[in-house]
Amino acid sequence: MAIYLCGVLAGIAFGYLILHTTFAKNSPLAASSVHIFGFRAPMGAFIASWGGIAMLTSAPFDNWWHDAYGLDVKIVSPPHILLILGVYAVVIGTLVLLAGHMNRSQSSSHVAERRLILYISGIMLVQIMIVLMESTERVYLHSLRAYLVTAALPPIMLALAWRLTGYRFAATYVAAFYTLFRLGLILVLPLFPAEPKLGPVYQQVTHFIPPDFPLLFVVPAFGLDLLWQRTKNWNAWKIAAASGFVWVALFFAVEWPFASFLMTPTSRNWFFGTGYLFYAMPPTSFMARNVFYPSTFSSLQFGLGLICAALLGMLAVRWGMARGEWLGKLKR
Amino acid sequence: MKTARFSAAFLVFSALAGAHIGSPDVYLEGKAGPYQLFVTVRPPLTIPGVAEIEVRSQSPGIRSIRAVPLAITGAGSKFAPIPDPLKASSQDSQFFTGSLWMMTSGSWQVRLTVDGAQGPGTLSVPVPSFARASKRMEWGLGSILSVLGLFLAAGMVAMIGAATREAKLDAGQEPTAANLRSGRKATVIGAIIVLAVAFGGNYWWNSEANDYNLRIYRPLGMAAILNGTDLSLKMSEPGWMQANTVQLAAFRVFIRKMDDLVPDHGHIMHLYVIRQPGLDAIYHLHPEQREDGTFALTLPSMEAGRYKLYADIVHANGFPETMVTQIEIPALTSRPLAGDDAAAVTEPWQKASTANTVFTLPDGYKMEWLRGDKPLAAKRATSFNFRLTKPDGTAPTDMALYMGMLGHAAFVKTDGTVFAHIHPNGSVSMAALMLASGEAPEDHSAMHMGDSSPTLPSARTDTVSFPYGFPSPGRYRIFVQMKHGETVETGVFDALTAGT
Repeated sequence: MAIYLCGVLAGIAFGYLILHTTFAKNSPLAASSVHIFGFRAPMGAFIASWGGIAMLTSAPFDNWWHDAYGLDVKIVSPPHILLILGVYAVVIGTLVLLAGHMNRSQSSSHVAERRLILYISGIMLVQIMIVLMESTERVYLHSLRAYLVTAALPPIMLALAWRLTGYRFAATYVAAFYTLFRLGLILVLPLFPAEPKLGPVYQQVTHFIPPDFPLLFVVPAFGLDLLWQRTKNWNAWKIAAASGFVWVALFFAVEWPFASFLMTPTSRNWFFGTGYLFYAMPPTSFMARNVFYPSTFSSLQFGLGLICAALLGMLAVRWGMARGEWLGKLKR
Repeated sequence: MKTARFSAAFLVFSALAGAHIGSPDVYLEGKAGPYQLFVTVRPPLTIPGVAEIEVRSQSPGIRSIRAVPLAITGAGSKFAPIPDPLKASSQDSQFFTGSLWMMTSGSWQVRLTVDGAQGPGTLSVPVPSFARASKRMEWGLGSILSVLGLFLAAGMVAMIGAATREAKLDAGQEPTAANLRSGRKATVIGAIIVLAVAFGGNYWWNSEANDYNLRIYRPLGMAAILNGTDLSLKMSEPGWMQANTVQLAAFRVFIRKMDDLVPDHGHIMHLYVIRQPGLDAIYHLHPEQREDGTFALTLPSMEAGRYKLYADIVHANGFPETMVTQIEIPALTSRPLAGDDAAAVTEPWQKASTANTVFTLPDGYKMEWLRGDKPLAAKRATSFNFRLTKPDGTAPTDMALYMGMLGHAAFVKTDGTVFAHIHPNGSVSMAALMLASGEAPEDHSAMHMGDSSPTLPSARTDTVSFPYGFPSPGRYRIFVQMKHGETVETGVFDALTAGT
């Protein structure tokens, strides 16, 4: 319900902005508005309102989905994706609103705006990783899919933040935000008592269970920042291509052995949190047994797959750069 | 929307019901410590889904009842979630209702914990949990979601157009002809992208629906081969709840097997052979399982006809199933009924009256349905009471247990959509009930010796009661078996049930 309340809040807040800009006399944003369906408002307000409506539409859709196919205990289902798209739209709308405000502002430094942009980019990365959670839990970190999906989406936000803020360590900041947020969940959630309210209960649980330890994005993000500092004069596609390979190489180099560590009893402590198991995790599951999901690829196929991941990373960085540059020119 | 798509699946699968056919609700009469309870559990259509629970206490003084779902055996049977309290009716303090989530397919129990003036008590109700169908989308909701979906799609296209046309313009600047052209171009591209997403989403939806349909319950298949008087029954797995991928093997705790059957009140299989379409000949037989897994028996002498075979089995985890097949049987001259065999031949249901409550048995004994004045209704938990009398109308003095119970009953709907094998405890399998109570199902052999298991009756009376509820309105035939001396009697009754 709290999630849908966010949709309602977004709908009310940005809906008010649209109505006020459209109908109020001498609205300060009237001249800096775009026109959609006869209404006028800053671009971000429309995007965020769309997100609010999408979130609220997903509620009856999801409810019916549960009735028709049972409660979906997975994240990636059609109604959940509509909900997540709505959440993304609210965040992106806010980012667009902020970028427009920054670009129209007479101030030269825009320190507050840039920091807020880093914060919103970090929030987006956290949200992207929620959708990717089912492919990036520790048992999947010796599977190709984890490296493909982490190359395809997270670099978008890093490149966007870099291009939009111009900060030298923008990617590192965004990745650090994600890391600290997820670390915070591991450190804080288990402090609160909780009991399962649904069966089957395969694991005895007495407190909240946090998600897995954050992926080590900080390392490849730092690599990207260093790369971008040294390739300012390169062609955008060349930067993106190099970024894709740097991202995958560094991430693979650190995450693969780190995942092996996460499977050891040493990591089952309050900091790495691999001893925390969701109450409905079957004892036969890979997570409960601390066993990697078996890869069906040969070493050669895996290597070719990593090259594909690098190409996906290239497209992600190029797309993020383009969106960041577009936002940098946005006025409305 | 998917309204039409799922209607066919609904019609096909809604008749399935695990231990019974077309009768998914679980009825159980039992003791929670000192309290005698009549429990009804209505499992959900989809899994995960919400099961509805009704409890009528025949003992006063109950303060609270809490319900919790647990697996009967194995993983999931050790730890329990927080129990859900049942709510006492404001009109009737001995009637409680509630609901709880059945999250996975499998052999479950709803454990009721009772607290009251006479102290605490618990009762475990075995509930087989499985998806029976998917639900179709109502027209109204489909319309609302369609309108919202179209609005979101149109809004997305319009935003893409506006972003390209105007978003980079300085405040107050009007879009140029070039801006307008770019906007139109972006709108077209945006529309194509949105359409592609819509088609992709539809494909995904279909794929999810197909995945779900694979989880809808399909009973084990059964093929019957008749060679002279020898009947053999071969089971087959249609592919429900298997662990044929690495992922499923790791996450699917409940896996259906064919080689894990346990005896249910003394027999691995209870086979009801019922002549169609008149339901005028019924045989309750018990094939033996061979080493290769097939079941075999020599049929007794039988009248010719097309027979439907309902074979009740129970898996080691307590999950009960009824396999169904049909076979043409010629008139057979064979062995007489023996052991726990029982049979009856009577007039077809089409010629029988639903007003008749007394059935005269071949040996002159009579079986009476103590029906009461209350009209029969579908979905209503009811005690079906029957009494056996000698030809002179007095109570038999040699009442005996039939496979450890005062009686057995089969409720069969004349249109073939319902078959339920009911015991005096209710609709649950006795093996599952024993497993849920912490007993081994093999202990049932002790029933013949009059052991003192809590699932056994305390007295051998001439009256037997079956807790059950007709699943839907219509015409039913009820076959009731009771034993006196060495004779197993089968009474046949007809019932017409109105709606809820």
